[in-house]
Amino acid sequence: MSQMTADQYRAHLERTRRHPALAADNIHLPAGSGTKLSALCFGVALAGLALTLLGAVVVNVKHALAAYQVGVMSVLAIALGSLFMIMIFNLVNAGWHGTVKRQWEHLFSMLPLCVLLVFPVLAIEVIRAVVAGDSGRDGFLLFEWLNPAISGTFLIEHKAGFLNAPFWLLRFVLYAAIWIFLAQRLYSLSKQQDLTGDRWLSQKARFMSGWGTLVLALTSSFAAFDWMMSMDYRFFSTMWGVYYFAASAGASVATLVIVLAILRGMGRLTGAVTDEHFRDLGKFLFAFSVFWAYIGFSQYFLIWYANIPEETAYYLRRMTGGWEALSFFLIAGHFVVPFVLLLFKPVKHSTLGLALVAGWLLVMHVLDMFWIIRPMVYVQDWASLNPGPTGWWVDVAAIVGVFALFAGVLIRKIASGPLVAANDPYLHESLKHKNYVG
Amino acid sequence: MSAINPDEQTAQQLAGLRPGAADRSKHADLGDGTLVEAPGERAPLVLNDRSAHDVTEIVCGYAENTPPKWWLPAFLIAASSTGLLGVGVLYLIITGVGVWGLNNQVNWAWDITNFVFWIGIGHAGTLISAILCLLKQKWRTAVNRSAEAMTIFAVTCAGIFPAIHVGRIWFIWFVFPIPNYNYIWPNFQSPLLWDVFAVSTYATVSGLFWYMGMIPDFATMRDRAILRLNASASAGEKKKLPDILRAYIFTLLAQGWRMSSRHWHRYEMAYLLLAGLATPLVLSVHSIVSFDFATSVVPGWHTTIFPPYFVAGAIFGGFAMVLLLLIPIRELYANFKDFLTLRHLENMSKILLATGMMVGFAYAMEFFIAWYGGNEYEWYVFINNRANPAMAPYWWAYWAMITCNVLSPQVFWFKKMRTNPLVIWLVALFVTIGMWFERFVIIVTSLHRAWLPATWHMFWPTWVDIGIFVGSIGLFLTLFLLFLRFVPVFPIAELKAVLPEADPHRGHGDHDEPGADVHGGGHGELSAPKGAH
Repeated sequence: MSQMTADQYRAHLERTRRHPALAADNIHLPAGSGTKLSALCFGVALAGLALTLLGAVVVNVKHALAAYQVGVMSVLAIALGSLFMIMIFNLVNAGWHGTVKRQWEHLFSMLPLCVLLVFPVLAIEVIRAVVAGDSGRDGFLLFEWLNPAISGTFLIEHKAGFLNAPFWLLRFVLYAAIWIFLAQRLYSLSKQQDLTGDRWLSQKARFMSGWGTLVLALTSSFAAFDWMMSMDYRFFSTMWGVYYFAASAGASVATLVIVLAILRGMGRLTGAVTDEHFRDLGKFLFAFSVFWAYIGFSQYFLIWYANIPEETAYYLRRMTGGWEALSFFLIAGHFVVPFVLLLFKPVKHSTLGLALVAGWLLVMHVLDMFWIIRPMVYVQDWASLNPGPTGWWVDVAAIVGVFALFAGVLIRKIASGPLVAANDPYLHESLKHKNYVG
Repeated sequence: MSAINPDEQTAQQLAGLRPGAADRSKHADLGDGTLVEAPGERAPLVLNDRSAHDVTEIVCGYAENTPPKWWLPAFLIAASSTGLLGVGVLYLIITGVGVWGLNNQVNWAWDITNFVFWIGIGHAGTLISAILCLLKQKWRTAVNRSAEAMTIFAVTCAGIFPAIHVGRIWFIWFVFPIPNYNYIWPNFQSPLLWDVFAVSTYATVSGLFWYMGMIPDFATMRDRAILRLNASASAGEKKKLPDILRAYIFTLLAQGWRMSSRHWHRYEMAYLLLAGLATPLVLSVHSIVSFDFATSVVPGWHTTIFPPYFVAGAIFGGFAMVLLLLIPIRELYANFKDFLTLRHLENMSKILLATGMMVGFAYAMEFFIAWYGGNEYEWYVFINNRANPAMAPYWWAYWAMITCNVLSPQVFWFKKMRTNPLVIWLVALFVTIGMWFERFVIIVTSLHRAWLPATWHMFWPTWVDIGIFVGSIGLFLTLFLLFLRFVPVFPIAELKAVLPEADPHRGHGDHDEPGADVHGGGHGELSAPKGAH
């Protein structure tokens, strides 16, 4: 058994490239397509974020910030999950994903935008803390530990080595640098391969993915600590990073399915991304929805069973004050419904069916982030400040705004080049991908 | 439509293709031929151009021919170590659990350590069978049968410990919710009871899975045994008892399998369904084992990451055991290397590295949150019961765990190391030891200094502790050696399906290479051969 020589590989690549599914008009969008749609998205984004700003004035800053944070953590999860998926595929030399790989790369190359979107939250919180100084009352900030007015408590003192503004911002820079480096490098390796057909670029990507996965696991976990868990500085859970990861991986597959379904609806990727690919993506959706439930249940169950006040406060807050309805809805919507639906082959085989389930799961993902972040807003001053249902427009505006911005940039990215990484060395496997059994 | 003419664009892009800076394929070190690094190419799963017939002959031969010289001594040693288990358990039952090193403070020690250790090892088999099957990882065929066997044997060993640790073993039936006149029920709120359900379900499904996968191979063995019997009869020789027994037993085990396509169809479906059922079981068993500890409020035990962390650790320990057993056998059995290639070892080393990092991640998270949570008891357990050599009497156990589980697999970042069977075997040995220490650290270091300092007490094992543990290793090896001796160690039918000649596209192209099946611009799907290309 010998490996192919350079010439043999070139011949093989050219043979693969002649596959009818790789015809130029099948893997390119018409010139100028998507511009209108992305302009519309930017319009919606502008309106949404403007309304959020209005909400900050009319309702209150903390509420608007939390609503915006829900949107940002949701889209960040999509991008981080996609980076993870592609790195895992690189590591295991996956072959089936060749034709869907490029769209996943588009999703993770949204990381710079996502990181940029995170920054205002941190900046605004730090500025508010500095401006308010000791005069800040309890519950003034979303990240309460920044509040100098309450710095005397034991837990704040104890955690000050980790939870302090300079280190918090420094960690943000660190995560941002690592993620952007990984995303840009992997994306550029793949784009380079489009041009040169050099298959050894894939080996570079594979090598990077080894240490990249490790670094991503650590940074995304700590980012989840920093930007979500620390909103309640009393709470702690070793599972937190894994929970955010589980949410990310599912959200990433769901978004990918929607993107691919739209592209197929536009008559592109015929024969390249087939029902077989959709079926496997459906299995991934199923797996990650179950995994999310497993992780979520384990975390809840262990805290409930041990019943230690320092931990149970987190769930108590989400099982009272009206939040219990959302808690139960998430169990049904994020786990039971997709579990039942995705068991059936016709659902996974149908572009529309799977796209609908994916859309549903994406909404559940946003609700999951909402469920984590939003109850933190009116913890201390529930009765006096809570605008009740009339404040919901701020949440909707912020989330829609962030997602519209994400979609607008994503659409431009997708329209800017080929829809398939046509020189991927495993593409021939993806083109003939089949689920034989069943 | 695209602004550029499609043909023109393709031509442009193809003109730009270049194979890369250097032709690296020529200088690659392929080891036994399977260490293909070149992207786009797949390593062969079976070496030396074995035909389907060769596969049958070789694999059945392991179970039919006279065993190699080392087998009997190895078996005798293993079986006599099992005697230690018998003696230890008997003495324990006659005398009471006081013969262990347990005391008022450390009321769980080696018993539960060994239970978790063995049940963890019992995860790799089902992982390989079920999850790798669902992920269509064909390389699993080289190890799945022996890993499944190992699973069953490990679960057998694991089951002994909770049973004998209850003290009055004649009441062990109380663990099952059996209706009775006294109206005594087990505590349904206790994770220990869920363990009973989880482990017995797991043992049942793993056993079914293992057995069902063997039915086609048993049929092959049956046919061969009957042929042999008939051949000796027609040669006028007297039928030998072992031959008769062999024919009878395999006939029973094969359940009338006749290799008909209807049988195969149902077999494939059933296998897939069992794989789907077994996958959540792999996660549930060790999650529930982790609940034994994590639902409590004992510092060092109560932490939310325990379920996935235990599962990752179980896969880690299980794969280490697979490697520990199969690497020597690969050397000792003729032709074994044709089916268990360096590539397989490399893949498993990578899994060891990955799961080792997951376990390391969990250690780090636990440590960080122990500090971050601000609970001084939690922090005390991590620092003064475990990590700090100046304060923790069991510091060596903690650092043995870190060294074996987190540090030793790091050598697998280097290809030279993860393709060297000796290095892999040594790391697997380290990991096996490290995973035992992990459970010891979790159980004993948390218990020996809980709450009231006046009750603090060290745990030291007695000869009964050691004897029973060594005996359980003996039992495990005895069963494994018997498996090697009597059962096909590879799934014959599945191996045949991954032979190069089983590929429907083989020989259709100019070269035996990927992409050759894309018939010059035709559809790449399973199109019918169109004659010579």
